[in-house]
Amino acid sequence: MTRLGFDPLLPWPFVAALVALALLAAGLAWWRGLRGWPWRGLAGLAAAAALAGPTLETGVRRGLSDIVLLVEDQSASQSLPGRAEQARAAADAFAERLTARPGTELRRITVGDDPDGTRLGEAITRALAAEPEARVAGTIVVTDGQLHDAPSLPATAPAPVHVLLTGQPSDWDRRLVVEEAPAFGLIGQPVTIRLRVEDQGAVPDEVQGRAVTLRVSIDGAREEVVAIPPGMPLDIPVTPEHPGQNVVAVSIDPPEGEPPQLTDLNDRAAIQIEGVRDRLRVLLVSGEPHPGSRVWRNILKSDTNVDLVHFTILRPPDKMDGVPVDELALIAFPTEALFEERIEDFDLIIFDRYSVRGILPSAYFDNIRRYVENGGALLVSSGSEAASVESLHLSPLGAILPGRPTGLFLDAPFLPQLTGEGRRHPVTAALPGAPDPERTDAPHWGRWLRMGDVIPEPDAEVLMTGDEGRPLLIASRVGEGRVALLTSDQVWLWARGFEGGGPQAELLRRVAHWSMKEPDLEEESLQVQLSGNLGLIVTRRTMEDAVGPVTITQADGATAELTLEPAGEGRFTGRWQAPGPGLYRLAEGELSRVVAVGPSAPREFEQTVATGARLEPLAQATNGTVLPLSEGVPDLRTVSVERQAHGEGIQRPWIAITPREAEAVDGLAIRPLLPPWAWLLLVVGLALVAWLVEAGRVGRRRVRA
Amino acid sequence: MSVRLTRRGLLALAAASLAPAMGRAQDELDPRLSEAAGESALAYVVTGDLEVDEASDLGLAGLTAALWARTTVEPGTPVAVALDEDDLSLLSFLYWPITDSQPLPSPQAYARLNRFLRTGGMILFDTRDGDLAGTGAPGSAQALQRLAAPLDIPPLGPVPADHVLTRAFYLLDDFPGRWQGATVWVEAAQASAEQGAFGPSNDGVSPVVIGGNSWAEAWAEDEFGRPRYVIGSGYDGERQRELALRFGINLVMYALSGNYKSDQVHVPELLERLGREQGEPPPLQVPGLLP
Repeated sequence: MTRLGFDPLLPWPFVAALVALALLAAGLAWWRGLRGWPWRGLAGLAAAAALAGPTLETGVRRGLSDIVLLVEDQSASQSLPGRAEQARAAADAFAERLTARPGTELRRITVGDDPDGTRLGEAITRALAAEPEARVAGTIVVTDGQLHDAPSLPATAPAPVHVLLTGQPSDWDRRLVVEEAPAFGLIGQPVTIRLRVEDQGAVPDEVQGRAVTLRVSIDGAREEVVAIPPGMPLDIPVTPEHPGQNVVAVSIDPPEGEPPQLTDLNDRAAIQIEGVRDRLRVLLVSGEPHPGSRVWRNILKSDTNVDLVHFTILRPPDKMDGVPVDELALIAFPTEALFEERIEDFDLIIFDRYSVRGILPSAYFDNIRRYVENGGALLVSSGSEAASVESLHLSPLGAILPGRPTGLFLDAPFLPQLTGEGRRHPVTAALPGAPDPERTDAPHWGRWLRMGDVIPEPDAEVLMTGDEGRPLLIASRVGEGRVALLTSDQVWLWARGFEGGGPQAELLRRVAHWSMKEPDLEEESLQVQLSGNLGLIVTRRTMEDAVGPVTITQADGATAELTLEPAGEGRFTGRWQAPGPGLYRLAEGELSRVVAVGPSAPREFEQTVATGARLEPLAQATNGTVLPLSEGVPDLRTVSVERQAHGEGIQRPWIAITPREAEAVDGLAIRPLLPPWAWLLLVVGLALVAWLVEAGRVGRRRVRA
Repeated sequence: MSVRLTRRGLLALAAASLAPAMGRAQDELDPRLSEAAGESALAYVVTGDLEVDEASDLGLAGLTAALWARTTVEPGTPVAVALDEDDLSLLSFLYWPITDSQPLPSPQAYARLNRFLRTGGMILFDTRDGDLAGTGAPGSAQALQRLAAPLDIPPLGPVPADHVLTRAFYLLDDFPGRWQGATVWVEAAQASAEQGAFGPSNDGVSPVVIGGNSWAEAWAEDEFGRPRYVIGSGYDGERQRELALRFGINLVMYALSGNYKSDQVHVPELLERLGREQGEPPPLQVPGLLP
């Protein structure tokens, strides 16, 4: 396009003044009757026009090519059999047609896997935003329609959006849906997991409505099998058995059917339930008030997770003072309630300097023994009474105590030492202040002043020793329960800071929790921590000198071996990088753990039957369409903007792009209308004509002729 | 430090007390104190006033005998403690009679006393002026202030009616000694009963009990088991002596078993709850699935 412009040599008022002057001069000439007056006027105006500097402006414009976006979904769900080829064939066909079309640019965008699934909506939004809106002539999306960020899809687009769906009309899939699973559960209390088996797509008749075999296994233990109908929600009670990660693996048997279902990957799920201990109920029975009872109370009372039931024998049955009962604050020891009716409710029973004085019938000691053998925990801290005839060891409880008193009670100061076993055992390992046999002059904890002499049972573990290597802390297992024996009542000296004191709270806390089977305090344990992206930190605690490699089994049966490095007394650790999310079983010797890394059923495979439901609104809003590729690759046409951009052709349906005929202005050329010499010639010529007319040479000849 | 070392050289008895840090484990122990640790013996502060010290010794001996006769607590022979020299960490209960002439303990002794209070020890301060209470007479109260000022003593209040001291063994509503009626002070009740001055780690037990009823004189007996000091007259005097012993027994129970008795209130409720929570597990929704 060309345009007339002005580039005045002098400011506009001068030009205007010149115009006025020219008109005035012409008017004067007319009044005087000069015949050349129009020519005079024209000459003046021409001079004014020359000063106004008329220019010609010429713009340089260029037609722009159309942009067509081709978005390919290459997420994991597109790798199902047949889909990848189908998608690639369609994309390549369109790419070929579009590049062959003159004035058309192709943008190929690939969407891969993301931890959050297929982020197709975001990809489309970004691709559209990156292109100039006026040039976008169409968007073609090749996908299975299973996107996980539908809210990110744009509401509309400047040109038609066509969705080409992969997959076959006969596609079907059966999947396991976890509707509800608690993240936490109290240990020993059942929690409910709600599951559903869902069929999607064209389910074959032979599978339709048939019962599904569901397998449930907790922490890789033996599977429980149940048959359930598809489509019905099912509540499964599971009981977390230990603190930390309880992995519930649920799977359904892949259904038989022709064609087979799309994928087996969504037929299983791993649910992680964090086992949380309920409040611990501890029964503390003090045989007499002594400074150590305050230490026990302080430790147990300051633990908010402990319900303490404490009884102290304040007056033995053989002492009477004749004080009337209503002046006494003593209550009867509810032995029947504690040791007969409620004994199974306690997580731990502690006997602290308890002497058998005929308060507890021996039947109750039998109950305690049975309670321990059935999985209970017993802690005995004995003083001088252990060496006497009132010793607990002489009661039926003696059978399960891990040491036999010799009757000797030593009133001599001694320094508690860790044994070799004690340095490895989680109860005593790395206790702060422990004397180091190699550095005797280093600071260490204080002494105790007296202890009883016992002969440890052969299968018991002596963790600490006192005077001349006599056992001080002995731990043992009885049936399914645990017993620990502390042969001195002087642990309170550590609390008092005698000779610097010691870690009495930590020691007693660990002994108590070990006896209650706290997994962190197991002698032989295999612990797995998740670290970073798919990393596993494996810690093996052991009382042995060496451990074998850990065998790691993946869900598909492939195995790997991890060699653990020593990391302090009784600890071996190693780090392993999992190749991908899923369930892993780690095993070393008889220990095994199941750990779920990442999502057990990848999000990509939660739903696999192709659907256009999520993309349909966008296609409709832009005059586009959703077509299944199983009916062949549609033709490509062009239509004008705002027209319906799809239709049925004779052989196959067609989709269209809308050429936008966009242009760009590249530059502007400005030329003077006439060169200066032409202006001069014009002005001079007009003046000459006026002179010739007035001289009569032009007009008179004409008149004469 | 040189002062302490010199003292240690001079006074063999003090050796154990001057081993405050780790790494001194092989120091000689004071046999009286190590025996006291084993047998939960009661201890008293030597004031330098021979009459008062004799009363303390006889008084604690009388209380020890009563404990032996009536309770499971069987303490050893009472221990005389020189605050400047003896290690308190082996003791649990300290009787401290206040006299005007008592010299101030050394800063080291106060450090040991504060650690004793903080780690679960208990001190009974006795101003022994219960007979003069209310008369505004100067003396022991000022001496107590002077002696106790450097100690980390929490805010105090009169013993509340429901305090454990009133029901640690005997039911008491007054705490008579040789005198009666004077107010007895313990750590003031905190917002939470579980939280004492030293936080929940001390079981909410008051580290000090302060009064002026001259308890040791009420507990004291001569070698024939007869009262050493006159209390009131006739039956009333006997009754007061009995109640003084009961207070002594309650106090030792409180020192050794802390707030045990205040827990007892909750035991029936706790047992009840145990039974309730361990109810039947919910029935399985799918028969035969999981145990």
